[in-house]
Amino acid sequence: MSDLIVGNRSIALDKDGFLVDLQDWSHEVAQALAAREAIALTPDHWEVLELLRQFYDEYQLSPATRPLIKYTALKLGPDKGNSPHLNRLFNGTPAKLAAKLAGLPKPTNCI
Amino acid sequence: MASSLLIISRQAPWNGPSAREALDIALAGGAFDLPLGMLFLDDGVFQLASGQQPALLQQKNLAANLQALPMFGVEELFACAHSLQQRGLDGSTLELPVQVLDDAALRALIARFDQVVTL
Amino acid sequence: MTTLHVISHSPFGDNRLTSCLRLLDNQDALLLCGDATYALKPGSEPYRVLQAAGLEQRLFALEEDLQARAIPDELAKAVDYPAFVALSLHYDKVNTWL
Repeated sequence: MSDLIVGNRSIALDKDGFLVDLQDWSHEVAQALAAREAIALTPDHWEVLELLRQFYDEYQLSPATRPLIKYTALKLGPDKGNSPHLNRLFNGTPAKLAAKLAGLPKPTNCI
Repeated sequence: MASSLLIISRQAPWNGPSAREALDIALAGGAFDLPLGMLFLDDGVFQLASGQQPALLQQKNLAANLQALPMFGVEELFACAHSLQQRGLDGSTLELPVQVLDDAALRALIARFDQVVTL
Repeated sequence: MTTLHVISHSPFGDNRLTSCLRLLDNQDALLLCGDATYALKPGSEPYRVLQAAGLEQRLFALEEDLQARAIPDELAKAVDYPAFVALSLHYDKVNTWL
């Protein structure tokens, strides 16, 4: 357990750095989470984060890598929905890291 | 080629952990690219009923989770016609795009897979 | 491919046995163990259902589970654990009705 300080708010994180309360998410929180991972969020990142939140809204779970790629390809096209693109954006662990930055629970079917 | 596995889910959505466990096997196997099928049998077909409101029972939305199966690569989805009919469910109004099979087709289905587990 | 179906739950108040019999292919076999052996109690309803199913040489039950429950082996072939293992290997797969 640790806390993330965003502005004057203190936001609870679990031991892996995921939000404890999914309602705490905001763009500022995403930026602060990304900073902890040494990532500066670009429009390419944001569209994946928005997509993940949409995935969670639809299926009520966080995708593992394969469904993340499939869903991204379906919604944004094959140029974005492939592992090199997603790996580049999210330090080689897109399912885990993108879920974290999007404020979703840790994917359960992920190694 | 990995062995194919048919998961038969035959418990109602919140009757203990069975329905959730069957789904977890399917999602985990799908994430690893295993050739999987999932069959809803007996009370398992209640998992597919439309308009469920699990939050009223402080339960997670299993029907929403089930819809992720094709995204996880599990596209062979089946339901037992007899079980649906017995329970007054209409195969065309289900939450998931399943193939509704009669008993003879179900026997052929079970024969086709390398492994079968019933939860 | 052939399947050995294995049921261990009592047939009373549960429909595993009924569903299994519907899905049993003509090359498949059924093995009853634990409380599922109560289905072999003569005079009971599941006994009549099993009799009508006419599984002949394709119905098995674990011997010690039968004996422990004082159930005769007249309808099913009683098998010990080594024979259970041999059966599991004889069929292409085993479907356990958990």
